[in-house]
Amino acid sequence: MRLTTDQRWGLIDKIAKKTITFGKYEHTLKDALGELTIKPLSGIPIAIAVLYGFWSIFCSFAGTLCTDGFFVKLFDKHFLPWAQRFFSQLPHWLYYILIGEPAADNCFEAFGVLTSGLFVALGVVLPAVFIFYLMFTLLEDIGYMPRLAVLIDTVMHKIGLHGYAIVPTILSLGCNVPAVTACRILETKKERFIMMTLLAIFIPCGAQLGIMQKVIPATMGWVLLYLLAGYFIFGFIMHKLIPGRSPEILIDVPTYQMPTFRNVGKKLRMRTVCFLKTAVPFVLLGCAVVNILYLVGFMQWLSNTLSPLFVNWFGVPKETVSPLIAAFLRKDLAVAQLSVIEMSKYQMITAVVLVSIYFPCVATFVMMFKEGWRELLGSLVVLGTVVFLYGGLLHLIWMLLGVA
Amino acid sequence: MDRKLAQIYFGILGVVSLVFGVVNILTTISGKSLLLGILEIPADMFRGGWGGLVILSAGLFYLSGAKRLSEIHHFSKVVMASILLWLIATCDIFAMVCESIPGGEEGPFFNTLHGFFAAYAPPYKPAIFLLPFSLVVIYYIYKRRSE
Repeated sequence: MRLTTDQRWGLIDKIAKKTITFGKYEHTLKDALGELTIKPLSGIPIAIAVLYGFWSIFCSFAGTLCTDGFFVKLFDKHFLPWAQRFFSQLPHWLYYILIGEPAADNCFEAFGVLTSGLFVALGVVLPAVFIFYLMFTLLEDIGYMPRLAVLIDTVMHKIGLHGYAIVPTILSLGCNVPAVTACRILETKKERFIMMTLLAIFIPCGAQLGIMQKVIPATMGWVLLYLLAGYFIFGFIMHKLIPGRSPEILIDVPTYQMPTFRNVGKKLRMRTVCFLKTAVPFVLLGCAVVNILYLVGFMQWLSNTLSPLFVNWFGVPKETVSPLIAAFLRKDLAVAQLSVIEMSKYQMITAVVLVSIYFPCVATFVMMFKEGWRELLGSLVVLGTVVFLYGGLLHLIWMLLGVA
Repeated sequence: MDRKLAQIYFGILGVVSLVFGVVNILTTISGKSLLLGILEIPADMFRGGWGGLVILSAGLFYLSGAKRLSEIHHFSKVVMASILLWLIATCDIFAMVCESIPGGEEGPFFNTLHGFFAAYAPPYKPAIFLLPFSLVVIYYIYKRRSE
């Protein structure tokens, strides 16, 4: 039997009348709370509170409880003296690579593969990354992330992105590697290029945050402020210079819901394991490579060669060259190295900012290469310009303030 | 009568939260933390400044919502204000828990029982004081649901 269009519509009406109940919809408390988190006037204070909670729990768990509370003691008072004794018979060069400085009394200064390498990877980075991903997953599963995307949409359009760019941005605070992959949620090439470049340059990863919180707690706020300013300034410049579209988004905002233990556990395990697989080998390799370069005298030569640029243009000691080399392998390792170089507070801010905005770590580099070599090359050109200009600008600011 | 009482209660709680928030921010600007009996107002940029801003926002939410509690959108503001206070108080309590477990730089791995309990002794931060008063909102959420 064939039906005409009118008959079909008539049939649809009949089915709808029998199956759908029409009534007045009353807003529930959940709806009203959801609306509050989207409206700018109420949503911004709520976002500020959420970020406060995020940061507070991150510092208390990773910094106070795990790293300072247990791991520093475990590594410095037990593991380091044991390793120094146990490996004392090794040839000097091998001892230097594995254990590091023989006179060191803490794992930050030793800088061996088995001392600083393991301490940074397991004692500092692991708790930081674990708690970061736990909270990120909770926010995701509760349903807050799409609301944050709506809230921040207008601001992100100023730098050629849309609200959902907040997902790779926050994900990048955990690790840049999955964040680069998450850039695929952006529709156009222009958006993806801007996002990837900004992630690689201005967003410190969880490992780096953990180390910064440990070695430069007093100046960390300034470093982050400086990076945040750079994120928006250079994002705006790229948006103006790069041709292409930045389309609007239409997001389905789900209602708030209670996260399930199973889902949170699964995501957390997957993300943490993925991070460890990517990070730990590079941290250990980074220590080994830097120590070998020191042993063959390459670092000293490089420090002397680049010292005019570092001392005169960036205003930092020439010894910061080697952390910058290490930064290519792992940025957290580089910040740990910086902590033992004698510097003023302002030089330390410049040096940490330079490490942050300098070349993305090798794991991120590989991910960016996978996304396209043209994009990678473009990002590197922007990066070189940013490092040179931004580092010099910081030095200029300190000079104008009379503290350089 | 009950609704009127709730309006007055949340109004007062809003004013107190607002005052705590403002004092927190002013203390941060002055750079010197304030100790009033068992109440400690921190002066650091994070807990004092940022946390103070959140407490101040909670106060504004209370005041804005307390006027017409019967209306769901206004009531949600009161609930949100309480959530903000719970968030800050939870963070403060979590920080105390994290400090209480390890044995300190020179001590053993785990804290002694005495040291553990001593970590929870006063002074307390403003949000911890406001926490029990903000819990009243749970009663009104259930009451509203049953109505």
